[in-house]
Amino acid sequence: MSKYILKRMGMTLLTLLLVVVLVFFLMHAIPGGPFTAQRELPPEVEAALIAKYNLDESLAVQLLHYIGGLLRGDLGPSFKYPGMSVNDFIREGFPVSAKLGLITVIFVLAASIPLGIVAALKNGKWQDVLTMLLATIGVTIPSFVIATVLMYIFSHRLGWLPAFGLDSPAGYILPVIALGGYSMSFMARLVRSSLLEVLGQDYIRTARAKGLTEYKVVVKHALRNALIPVVTILGPTVAALLTGSFVIEKIFALPGMGKHFVTSITNRDYTTILGITIFYATFLVVMVFVVDMFYVLIDPRIKYE
Amino acid sequence: MSSPAIEKALWDEIEYSREKGEALNVKHRSYAGDVWFRFRHKPASLVGLAIIAVIMLFAIFGPMLTPHTYEKQELSFVNIPPRLDIFAMGDAYVYVSRNLKPIHVAEDGTLIAALPRIEEDVSRKVTTYDFYGDPIAVDWGERPPILIGPDGERVEDSVTVHNKIYILGTDKLGRDLLTRLMIGARISLLVAFVAAFTNLIIGILYGGISAYIGGNTDNVMMRIVDVISTIPLTLYVILIMVMLPRDSGIMSIIIALGSVYWVNMARVVRGQILTLKEQDYVHGAKIMGTSTWRILTTHLIPNAMGPIIVTVTMLIPSAIFIEAFMSFIGLGVSPPMASWGTMCNDALEALRTNPYQLFAPSLAICLTMFGFNFVGDGLRDALDPKLRGR
Repeated sequence: MSKYILKRMGMTLLTLLLVVVLVFFLMHAIPGGPFTAQRELPPEVEAALIAKYNLDESLAVQLLHYIGGLLRGDLGPSFKYPGMSVNDFIREGFPVSAKLGLITVIFVLAASIPLGIVAALKNGKWQDVLTMLLATIGVTIPSFVIATVLMYIFSHRLGWLPAFGLDSPAGYILPVIALGGYSMSFMARLVRSSLLEVLGQDYIRTARAKGLTEYKVVVKHALRNALIPVVTILGPTVAALLTGSFVIEKIFALPGMGKHFVTSITNRDYTTILGITIFYATFLVVMVFVVDMFYVLIDPRIKYE
Repeated sequence: MSSPAIEKALWDEIEYSREKGEALNVKHRSYAGDVWFRFRHKPASLVGLAIIAVIMLFAIFGPMLTPHTYEKQELSFVNIPPRLDIFAMGDAYVYVSRNLKPIHVAEDGTLIAALPRIEEDVSRKVTTYDFYGDPIAVDWGERPPILIGPDGERVEDSVTVHNKIYILGTDKLGRDLLTRLMIGARISLLVAFVAAFTNLIIGILYGGISAYIGGNTDNVMMRIVDVISTIPLTLYVILIMVMLPRDSGIMSIIIALGSVYWVNMARVVRGQILTLKEQDYVHGAKIMGTSTWRILTTHLIPNAMGPIIVTVTMLIPSAIFIEAFMSFIGLGVSPPMASWGTMCNDALEALRTNPYQLFAPSLAICLTMFGFNFVGDGLRDALDPKLRGR
């Protein structure tokens, strides 16, 4: 067990290191340094800046400095906004994105598990067909299309919900649905197929044979095992929500990290793009690691070598 | 119920023959025929196939048939919707655009010309235009705007006609949306083709070599795949595209997809080859001195083709999605090139006033995604019946 955890931890760190090195060299592949931007700087100012950011040293030394900065949690200055650092963007945007993401995860779980259960129990009936139809639509239609169509119908046409911002709780409704639509549909399909498989097993027949109520059979016996695959895809789900939030935050003008990310892409604010990418990657890799560990804990059948 | 009469001759003893005894009285079906049989018995797959065919025709022949080009800006016909509410002044028809510009329209909905402006009275919120010598005025104090005819009376009659020149309307620069939609279809299909190609070449070779050689080579190659796939593809593609020159347009998407998009395929192929390489015919080939490359390309990969095809059809829609996503956030094709993603993004800016601009590109994206997903589902069921319904 501990060997497995150590191995996974090693892989996680290696992945992060590779991403950082990749990002670092990509940053240095851009023609021109960070200070050859719009205005000519006085030579002594430029020299001071170059010395401050160690640009006069060799690439390897710069890489070490960069990694050292990352270990201290310093992602460097913004390329386009003087005086702002990448950390400022993250400090500003991450709470907003995290809140939206958390609400979406709760929404996804609260909606997909009951839907999947209903579809599995009513296998082949209209409830099943309807749920699976909705789930297919949710998996195929891109989130930005869902978001714009929802916004047009519910904000512009009907005027029920705000189109921009998060000033009122109602402002969360459309972004959460648009952001979680894909994951919810995917998970509902997963719950359905895995519950159907579990319901066909012998121990469920035993449970029924000894006269347990249908509720007890489904909730106490079947669901516990059927939900294991759901835990496995929580990691990829977090990833999907994270990348999905770039466009959702842009469409609904939410002041989160995704919006900063998209804005920095449009402005070609290289250091911010790279810094936020590293932040996202770290966050994701850590989340996937946590989910993996959790998975090992809840499923005793897994053998870790 | 009466049973059908059986001809008496059928009861006669037939002549003994070895060939006839061995013959199967079932129509022989090849593997491909078998797959096609299972595939066409699912209506959704056929619908998907039809959608893809229509989109391909639309992309290939569409731009040849329209009189417009995707980049030509017609600044006098900006933001014209596909359906026009036109004012009728006798037998002359005038459309007042959402930018409050009157346009002379023929009865069948052909746009003739934007009318030149004479003067604007800001305090009365009335602008006067020259209608071939007669002054007509647009009163924009109210919503919808009122048209005042040459006689000074408000024009009451109005009819709704289809836009004859721009079937899907024009965008904020007066470009024909239908033509842009066709060009967007070309981009999407190009991306689909590139995605399929990289997967088939790099993915298969990478996975195949990794699995067949095995040992440490396999270990290192698969750890690389693990590392690449921990981070969502979108992030890599963003990183790579940011680094490429800004005007590289569609090339940047192709490079970005080509460099990281094959990892899933590599995994699938590796899994297949790992089981296949222990089969007797592979050992047989090895004993006969067949080279590794030949075993890989003539024995192993063709036998793994089923799952490979399924994976490709599943990866194509997500490649199309990635392109639309990138173009939507401003990283995809560079203007004036049209992509469904950029069209959606342009429409978003004017969603309140010109919602019609959103429908065509979003519908196109949804239909394409449905088409490829349905075909993918159908192929998976047809090639591997064990996976049905998952």
